[in-house]
Amino acid sequence: MIPTSLNDAVALLMQLEVTDTGDLEVLRDALTAMAFENRVSPAEQPHVARAARLLGTIIDGNSTNARSDLDAVSHALDVALNSSVSNGVAAIVEPTVPREKSRSRVSTKPRAKTPAKSRAPIADAAPKISVQNTTGKRKPEARPIVGETLPQDTDLSLLRDFLSEAAEYIAASEVALLELEANPQDTEAVNTVFRAFHTVKGTAAFLGLTHIAEFAHEAETLLMRVRDRAINYGPACADLSLRSVDMLKALLGAVEDAVAGDGALLLPTGYHALMLALDGYNPAADVLTVECAPTLEATPRATRIESTVEATIRVRTDRLDRLINMVGELVIAQTMIAGDPHMANSQAPDLTRKVTHAGKIVRELQELSMSMRMVPLRATFQKLARVVRDTASKVGKSVAFATDGDEVEIDRNLVDILSDPLVHMVRNAVDHGIEQPEERDRAGKSRTGSVRLSAYHSSGNVVVDLIDDGGGLHRDRIANKAIEQGLIESDRGMSDSEVFNLIFAPGFSTAEKVTDISGRGVGLDVVRRNLELIRGQLDITSTPGRGTKFSLRLPLTLAVTDGMLVRVGAERFVIPLTQIHMSFRPEPEMLSTVVGQGEMVILRGALMPIVRLHRTFSVRGAIENPLAALLVIVGDGSQRTALMVDELLGQQQVVAKPLGDGLGRVPGFSGGAILGDGRVGLILDVRETMSLTTPALKLAS
Amino acid sequence: MSDAATAMAEVRAESAAKARAGKYLTFFLSGEEYGLEILKVSEIIGMQSITRVPRTPEFVRGVINLRGKVIPITDLRIKFGMEASTAEESCIIVVQLRDVQTGIVVDKVSEVVALAEAEIADSPDFANGVQTDLLLGIGKAGGRVKLLLDIEKVLAAHEVVQLADSTTAQAA
Repeated sequence: MIPTSLNDAVALLMQLEVTDTGDLEVLRDALTAMAFENRVSPAEQPHVARAARLLGTIIDGNSTNARSDLDAVSHALDVALNSSVSNGVAAIVEPTVPREKSRSRVSTKPRAKTPAKSRAPIADAAPKISVQNTTGKRKPEARPIVGETLPQDTDLSLLRDFLSEAAEYIAASEVALLELEANPQDTEAVNTVFRAFHTVKGTAAFLGLTHIAEFAHEAETLLMRVRDRAINYGPACADLSLRSVDMLKALLGAVEDAVAGDGALLLPTGYHALMLALDGYNPAADVLTVECAPTLEATPRATRIESTVEATIRVRTDRLDRLINMVGELVIAQTMIAGDPHMANSQAPDLTRKVTHAGKIVRELQELSMSMRMVPLRATFQKLARVVRDTASKVGKSVAFATDGDEVEIDRNLVDILSDPLVHMVRNAVDHGIEQPEERDRAGKSRTGSVRLSAYHSSGNVVVDLIDDGGGLHRDRIANKAIEQGLIESDRGMSDSEVFNLIFAPGFSTAEKVTDISGRGVGLDVVRRNLELIRGQLDITSTPGRGTKFSLRLPLTLAVTDGMLVRVGAERFVIPLTQIHMSFRPEPEMLSTVVGQGEMVILRGALMPIVRLHRTFSVRGAIENPLAALLVIVGDGSQRTALMVDELLGQQQVVAKPLGDGLGRVPGFSGGAILGDGRVGLILDVRETMSLTTPALKLAS
Repeated sequence: MSDAATAMAEVRAESAAKARAGKYLTFFLSGEEYGLEILKVSEIIGMQSITRVPRTPEFVRGVINLRGKVIPITDLRIKFGMEASTAEESCIIVVQLRDVQTGIVVDKVSEVVALAEAEIADSPDFANGVQTDLLLGIGKAGGRVKLLLDIEKVLAAHEVVQLADSTTAQAA
């Protein structure tokens, strides 16, 4: 049974035990759907959302006391039901912290939140308006300060994000409101404010900040009427809107206090009055009822929000990039000074010490500058929870999604590129990896499949693992399919991971459905493309029947590339390390010439073309005899190529830079890098280099 | 209206001509003296090792590291069809064209001269093998003739054409 109303949900909940994970999940999904698809009233929404969230922790096994959490779920649903009965304002949850505490807080800060002058007019105004109100609402100023607490399971970091984000929205809407006052027909301004209120409402509800959500809802409704031209944006309306903005600021301030303090939320004075004023706003009578009432103490609040929430500044990325580049240069310059022969033979120990000291500072500066671009993976992972839910419900599967390591940070530039592949992979895991519940039953697994994302650091990279406990991949079937489609000639010499990687090849398995691996490959080539873009690697391990693990290995940042410096004649090139599989000096019997395809080398049964870099890039004085040169194997799967170079000069971290605008795009190179000696080295674009020399028919892919 | 238009055109032509007056950085290429608007010059640096970039036209000597920025270097001698030189005093003039920084290799930097409009003549039909549409004019001060380059045209127009040529040639 899938509950469609709150009453159903409560009924279902009563029959359930903490161990009924499958059913709890159904309930969770139903509640989530209710909360976020506007099937419950705004007053109920936060409680329903909270119930769903609590259920999530129970299902994921993250709950420390599942039984009491289940009780909390049922309590939340009760509150939701009651709130829908008592309508709107009354829905505020009774405080669970001792009253005394919140009271003492109030008494220590007497009037701090309520300048006397601001109170009177609101109090005066409210009763007048409430006359127009039909339903019996609460007396507006009966409880000037109502205590509430932060929901116990609040994620503090989420809350902080919300506070700074909401502060931005509110600041923007304030500006827009002023514009609107000057030009009441400005639809864009109305929309800005509307969106701001709407976003604040949604997030607040999600976080269980009931009163903020409710208030934002009322304010949003007013703006909606303005937007839909139901009412004119008159002076009184403008005043109300601006006061709503101030009220939101005060509400956010209260949350901030609660975060910093004991978790007790104070309701700013005038809250109910303003709620009523918003609700009962009547454009015909407005000028009389709500005259420019002084606003709540907006200014001190606003500054305080900035002070305790982790203060952030928006910086244009190009400036940041320039800073990071300059620091990179500083590092090189410093290395050049420290490595100068004069320094090595220096008779002045003092100087050496100073240079070393400067070096330390420079490196610290580099670390700091790199960290400025880093953002946690949390937001990316959170989006995926939704993807899992939607996909699972679409295909009728039950899937538990868990993440860990979402605090791991990666370069902001990588996040956007990473997001798409992850969505595809997660969707694929749910759609094709996890089996139908019946099938899982037969296989002796729990009906609920599990998809898990975990991120961690490993040898200078970030690794994101996507693990499912589904049917797994079958090497032979994939290999056969790939051979059938002409992607490879034989899977001999290919590792499991390489074979599995074929599912990401463009066009793989789109033609027809094959059981077990059906449909895999749709949209998956975006994975491969984006991963190449960010120089990531994908390693796949799988046990048939037990599940699959996709390991994405990503660089921490795009700013620095791990490269192998190679010499060809008198010139040096940088080959991205992630592209290199191995290098070796060939034996005579490994070399052959294939008609129409040129020189080839055979390595462990795999035949691949040799690209003589000196020819491709017309370098004079390079080694001509392959037996005296080195072959560097690059590329992946069927597209492997052996690049012929004179010598490997060593591994180096380089900062990739464009080759100067005046030059445009140079085929074969992705950019330049300043090498340790201050000269420029060209960074090879492996794919392009391969396509510059391989016959045209291979370019098709 | 036509009178007004003509007058306007005259004024405009005059101001365009006037714009030629100003300071020029002069340099030598194969014994000839050339000039370059000083406002376009961002700096002059000594010759340094240039990294060759394969698959670019011959006149692109390569790229250098200018304090962390990679900028391309054009050899004007090769561009003008003169023989390459390895003159001791060769140096690189870094020019700033809108947001693009690029370097040009010249034999030797000479001086900065201020040229009045009267000292600048329109270019003749043919000058030293350099297409005259690449010239702003000819400066005649201090008894020597200076070919004043429209450096933007010199670097941009040709490069595009030749680059396209070279890539199509390779593709063929």
